[in-house]
Order: sequence, then C-alpha cells, then structure tokens
Amino acid sequence: MENTKKVPDFWSKEDWQACWLGFTIILIACIAVLAKAFDFSAVKFATWSVGEAGASNVVPLSEQFGNFAFWRKLLVTFGVLGFLFTLAVKLQGESVKKYIPAFIGLFFIALLVRFISAEFTLNRYLEWAFWALLVGLLISNTVGVPQWLKPAIKTEFYIKTGLVIMGFSVLFSNIARFGLYGLGITWIVTPIVILFMWWLGTKVLKIDNKPLVITLSTATSVCGTSAAIATAAASKAKKADLTVVVSISIIFTVLMMVFEPMIIRAIGMNQLMGGSLIGGTIDSTGAVVVAGTALGPEAQTAAVLVKSIQNMLIGFIAFFVAIFFATHVEKTNDRKVGPAEIWYRFPKFIIGFFAASLIASFLILPLFGADQVDAVNKVLDQYKNWCFVLAFTSIGLDTNFKEIARQMQGGKVFWLYVIGQTFNIVLTFFAVWLLLSGVLFPIPTLS
Amino acid sequence: MNKKIISRILTWIFIGAVLSVCLYIMANGLGLQPELDFGAGAYYYADIPDFDQYTEKARFQARLPYWVYLILFLAWGALMYAAWKWIDKK
Repeated sequence: MENTKKVPDFWSKEDWQACWLGFTIILIACIAVLAKAFDFSAVKFATWSVGEAGASNVVPLSEQFGNFAFWRKLLVTFGVLGFLFTLAVKLQGESVKKYIPAFIGLFFIALLVRFISAEFTLNRYLEWAFWALLVGLLISNTVGVPQWLKPAIKTEFYIKTGLVIMGFSVLFSNIARFGLYGLGITWIVTPIVILFMWWLGTKVLKIDNKPLVITLSTATSVCGTSAAIATAAASKAKKADLTVVVSISIIFTVLMMVFEPMIIRAIGMNQLMGGSLIGGTIDSTGAVVVAGTALGPEAQTAAVLVKSIQNMLIGFIAFFVAIFFATHVEKTNDRKVGPAEIWYRFPKFIIGFFAASLIASFLILPLFGADQVDAVNKVLDQYKNWCFVLAFTSIGLDTNFKEIARQMQGGKVFWLYVIGQTFNIVLTFFAVWLLLSGVLFPIPTLS
Repeated sequence: MNKKIISRILTWIFIGAVLSVCLYIMANGLGLQPELDFGAGAYYYADIPDFDQYTEKARFQARLPYWVYLILFLAWGALMYAAWKWIDKK
C-alpha cells in the first residue's frame, strides 16, 4: 500500500499507464517501420483448416509452425506485452511474483483463442471476441478459474491500452476524405440513433443501467464490437454489460449480413444507395464488405466508405460519452460539477486515444505520408488485437452465466437493440434516399 | 401480471427464433462470398486482409475545403451533445 503512495498517479494509475504503455508500443512501431530498423510485427495465425477448404489464403498448420518467423513474432509479442504489463503492475504496487505466472497462463489461453479463431470454418461468422468470451466462460463456469491465474485478469487495463493503440489509426483527414455525402449518411444519423436509444432505454424501457444502454446504443449505431469496447470503457460499464452487448451485436450482424442484401435487391434499390445503407447499418466491418459485395462492386465501395467513416467516429463518441458520464450520470446530487471533479472522474486513457490520433493525423501523416502511416498501423493493429483478446478472455474468466442472464433485464435489452436497430435502418434509409437518390442533391460519382 | 408473463414468453420465443436462424445460417454457410476470405467475424477493418484495397481505389468526391467539413462535423456533434443533455434532464 505504501508503495503505491510513493509513485505519482501518472505512473501508477491504470488510466495513465494505459496511455504510456500504448505510446511505448506506438513509438517502437514507428521507429521499426519509419526507420526500417527492425521487424516489430506481432504474431498472428494465418487461416488454417480442419478439413479441406477452398479458400486461397489457407496455410497448413505444419507450414505455420515450421516457420521461424512465427516463433520469433510470438516471442516478441509475449515479451513486449509481458514486460510492459508487468512493469505497470509493479508500479501499481501489486505483486510481480504473482502476476508473471498469471500473465503467462492468460497469454497461453489468449493464444489458444487466436488459434481457434483463425480456423477457416470458425472464423467466417465469429471471430476472436466471441471465442475469447466463450473459452473464458467455459473455464470459469466449469472447472473454475485457479487462484494463481486471477492476478492477470485486468480487463479494463487491457482494453484501455488497446484503445490508446487504436487511436493511431483514427485519422482526422478522413473527415474530409468522404465528402458531404459520406458525412451526411453517417454523422447525421449516428448521434440521432444514439439519442433515440438512450431515450428509449432510460425513459421508456426504464433500464437503470445507463452504461449498458449507451454501450448498446453505440454498438448499434457505430460499428458493433469496437464501438462497444470503446464506449464501455468510457462509461465504466461492467464486464457482463459488454458481454451482453457484444453477443447481441454478433448474432444480429450474422442475420443482417445475409438478409439485408436480399431485401435491398428485392425492393430494387440501386447499388450506390444499397451499399450506403449496408455500410450505415450493419455492425461489423467484415460483414459490411461481404454484404456489399453481394450487391455488386459499386455497392461494395459505397458500403466500405460509409463504414470507414463510422469507424472513425468511435474516438469522438467515446470522448463525449466519457464527458457526459463524468458530468451527468456519475453526479450524486444536483450541485454543478466543477472542472476539478470532471477531471478526477474523466477516464484519462481517452486523452491518450486522442493524442495518438492527433499525432498520427498532424505529425506522422504530413511528415511521412499515408503509406507509412498504413504500414505502422498494420503493426499496431495486431498489438491492439492482442490487448483486446487478453481483455475478452479476462471478461469470460471473470463472468458467470447467471450474471449475463441478469444483465438482459428480462429481455428489455434485447428489445432495445431490436427497436434501435430498426430505427437505425429506417433513418439511414431516409438519409440515403435524401442524399443519393437524386431527388434533392446531384447523385455523386465514385471515382 | 399475465401481460408480463406473456411478454416474457414472446421475448424468449423471439430470442430462440433469432438464435435458430443464426445457427442455420452458420451451419449452411449462407451469405458468404466465395472470393472473400473473411465474414461477419472480421469486426474491425484491421481484421480484414488487405483492407486498403477497398478504400484506396474510390471515394465520394469532396469538393469543399477540409475546414468546412471539420466545422460541420463539430457543429453537429455539439448540437447533438446539447440534445443528449436535454433528453437526459427531461
């Protein structure tokens, strides 16, 4: 206890630690890529298959395990994350002796999750977030989590660090990149859907768990899992809240990926409008590309463009959610909350997220160009994914099925999603019709 | 009381139906594109192999200066934030 008091908050508090851990990884990735100094890539399983799979990118396991680069990257990933998180835990005043074996155990489970989620059949519809939750839940609800593994279960810490790393991929220049049409379809609709679901959830359905309502609202209107992760951290949602939201989003994404292109084709909507509708309403980016492709090449392009802007909105929305919760939701009485109090409550890792985004947008991008930023992000994306896999595995290990059932609030949460998503589809359709049908504005060209 | 029970039953029937359809889709590989090596499981763009190819070739044409978009973006965001506070207070 005395140990923590000696270390300033900037080094010992989880929120600040997430910032400097994220920035350490960003800095090393920048040096590695921009100076072409060394290979800093994290390990990633290529798609493999139990049976015979027709896809071109399937790499047999023997080939993957027989590759020296795989083991080197595995060692780098384990070493970098293990060292940084252990150092942070030490500065938090916790036992390093207990954390190290626990982290090794958690990393091994996370590796198993990534291995499972790279299988050809399993990764078509469900990827790492689902498998991480499932593996964690299976362990915790059957054999139970051993005591020695518990010190590594630090869900929020891994999420916050992953989000700071993710900030580097959010480029401000993208706001202009897609023009008024893109902004109109996403930025007009998205906040309205969030507000509608907030009103529906808190005022009509009377769900008292406000972090759950906002997490579900942003997952519905922005981009599913990633938005849920960011907002859950910003609103300090419980682990079970995030589990419920991600599960609902995953299930409906599968349905919408299949049925939305069918309906769009049946009503005779053109590719530009259909693709934009898909981009604005289907949660996961992968499902957006697949559903857009089902309609045709122009629909695919429009769908991806709209979804790309939505992906960019995550940081802004998480920032304002954090402010709103610090100033309005966490307020215990009617007195006005002063700046000092807001600062105290504000989740500091959001600052790290924005700082990473600003540095990428206004420093690295003008100095080194878009190709180099993309190259850095390719490295960072895997570290971000590793942080999130560690987080979701931790959630599974720390949650029981009863708790999840309780968070459904007798089905209210499910209806909130269904009604909210329906509203999202209707409103996006209206925006798409208004902007892209030619009734009010000239139809844009995709160059 | 009866109304509550009926609504619960209907909710669980609906959830069951949604899950069944979802499982049927996954079991039969519906909705996938043979030329794409990923599906709904790629939650974020970074999970999609070579995502650049989908964004670099095309874009909506932007005719106005960057700052116009930025102002519109921030103004709408500020308006929505004010509306959120109002809804929550109400």
